[in-house]
Amino acid sequence: MSILKVNQLVKSYGKVQALKGVSFEVPEGAVFGILGPNGSGKTTMLSIILDVLNADAGSYEWFGKPASPDLRKHIGSLLETPNFYHYLSAVNNLKVTNSISGRGDLVAIDAVLQKVKLFERRKSRFSTYSLGMKQRLAIAAALLGDPKILVLDEPTNGLDPVGIMEIRELIGELSKKGHTIIMASHLLDEVEKVCTHVAILKTGNLVTHGPVHDVLVDEDIVEIGAADIHLLKQVVKDIPGAIQQVSTDQFVQLYFAKGSARLADINQFCFNNGIVLTHLTLKRKRLEEKFFELTNN
Amino acid sequence: MFHLLKTEWLKIKNYPGFWWIMAVTILSYPGINGIFYVTYKQQTANEKTAAKMIKMLIGNPFEFPEVFRTVAFSSSLFITIPAILVIMLITNEYTYKTNRQNIIDGWSRNEFIIAKFYNVVIVSLIVIALYILVTLGIGFSTTGSGVANRFELAHYVGYYSLQVFAQLSFAFLLGILIKRAFIALGTFIFYKIIVENIGAAFMIKYANDAGRFLPTESSDRLTPIPAFLGKLDADSYQKALSLLNQQAFITVGYIILFWGLVFWIYKKRDL
Repeated sequence: MSILKVNQLVKSYGKVQALKGVSFEVPEGAVFGILGPNGSGKTTMLSIILDVLNADAGSYEWFGKPASPDLRKHIGSLLETPNFYHYLSAVNNLKVTNSISGRGDLVAIDAVLQKVKLFERRKSRFSTYSLGMKQRLAIAAALLGDPKILVLDEPTNGLDPVGIMEIRELIGELSKKGHTIIMASHLLDEVEKVCTHVAILKTGNLVTHGPVHDVLVDEDIVEIGAADIHLLKQVVKDIPGAIQQVSTDQFVQLYFAKGSARLADINQFCFNNGIVLTHLTLKRKRLEEKFFELTNN
Repeated sequence: MFHLLKTEWLKIKNYPGFWWIMAVTILSYPGINGIFYVTYKQQTANEKTAAKMIKMLIGNPFEFPEVFRTVAFSSSLFITIPAILVIMLITNEYTYKTNRQNIIDGWSRNEFIIAKFYNVVIVSLIVIALYILVTLGIGFSTTGSGVANRFELAHYVGYYSLQVFAQLSFAFLLGILIKRAFIALGTFIFYKIIVENIGAAFMIKYANDAGRFLPTESSDRLTPIPAFLGKLDADSYQKALSLLNQQAFITVGYIILFWGLVFWIYKKRDL
């Protein structure tokens, strides 16, 4: 079942078209990463599915139903910046969140503040918080009442390395519990580590989307090495099935069509041609490479 | 309704700025009318001929039933103070972007505006209650036992209520449109005090008094000057009194228009 179905969303700001007919589905239980350079339309899209922006055309459904405020109450969200009443404490801000959404109660408020390590400062005004603390409170608000769906726009913004690691662990933990998480992020490494699915946007267009291993792997890359690298380069020129060969000082990378590389056959081929391999591995493209390739950056 | 009120209460109950301006509002109405009353008493209390003449000419505008009109008029001059509260309550939401967060957390856009509508109603009710308390306080302390028709002008409570709600609704509309507290308040003061006053005065002379249809001038006409000042131009004063019910209908029309615009703008606008 799809938790979210986005169908041909279009949005313009004056002459600038921020979204140009974007469609995708988020399966239940997925950690769905939305990637894209600045201005690609990530936040615009999240704003539309949270009813902060009106789409010019297209539609979206939550839980297979047309979007409504009542459905939104079951979604924990953090959009762009932490938005709280500056004169209220963390506890009082979360009471407002609880009053509007119906998620959680006083006990749950204390629990989420402990989870994001703000419990000691729970009675301090929001205006006295550092950027990282504000972000932690926004995450606490999203987690309040343990919603099954989370929409997180740049959740690690402003956090220190420990905070980033904690959020990554938290997302992993929630994912294991079956929560669905939709997350926009600039941090490709972070997305690669935690996401099961990914969508890449570029200037308002959806470049690609799907399970992470499908998006990243569109060809097999086999990396091999031997004591005599020059001889190795000569030998593998004629290896059957290889589309492309890229050499470095230490290794040779052989590109095969997706799913066609057979490591045993390659090892055998080299051995038959007098080469003993010291290094043989099937590599996936890193998300960073794929992202740059798809967005031409 | 209770749910919306509860949430709004959570937002303001620990907001020092709100309570400071509320205190100023609560103190200003008795204060301003009290100053007028004390000034009148000082000018008419002694036995000098001039004082006796003033008393004979203007009567006692602070006695029942005239006190209803006098306090309504003087209170209407200070609508800017509760307008600050109303503008602050909506522009703060824009400043902190909490208007977006309220929608993200599960309110519909209509619910957000209905919650704010209740805020404007409550601020209006507080101002109206102050008007009633000040009027009754001054009226009972100054009126002799011989006055029989004490509540003859009590319908000014209704006129004043309409005026307050219409003008605070206008302030709210400006807050929604402009989003910034100081600019919205500046626009409110500039438009109401400068633009409309000059426009209305111009239209009295050149446009058959069409100024009485302007957005805030229409409700300003619900609280005419006290009777003793009306003696300076008796014909115009009688005309103003005869148009009160018409002005009330125009004001109701504006209230509907203001809130209709507020709901429409908030529904259509990106947050």
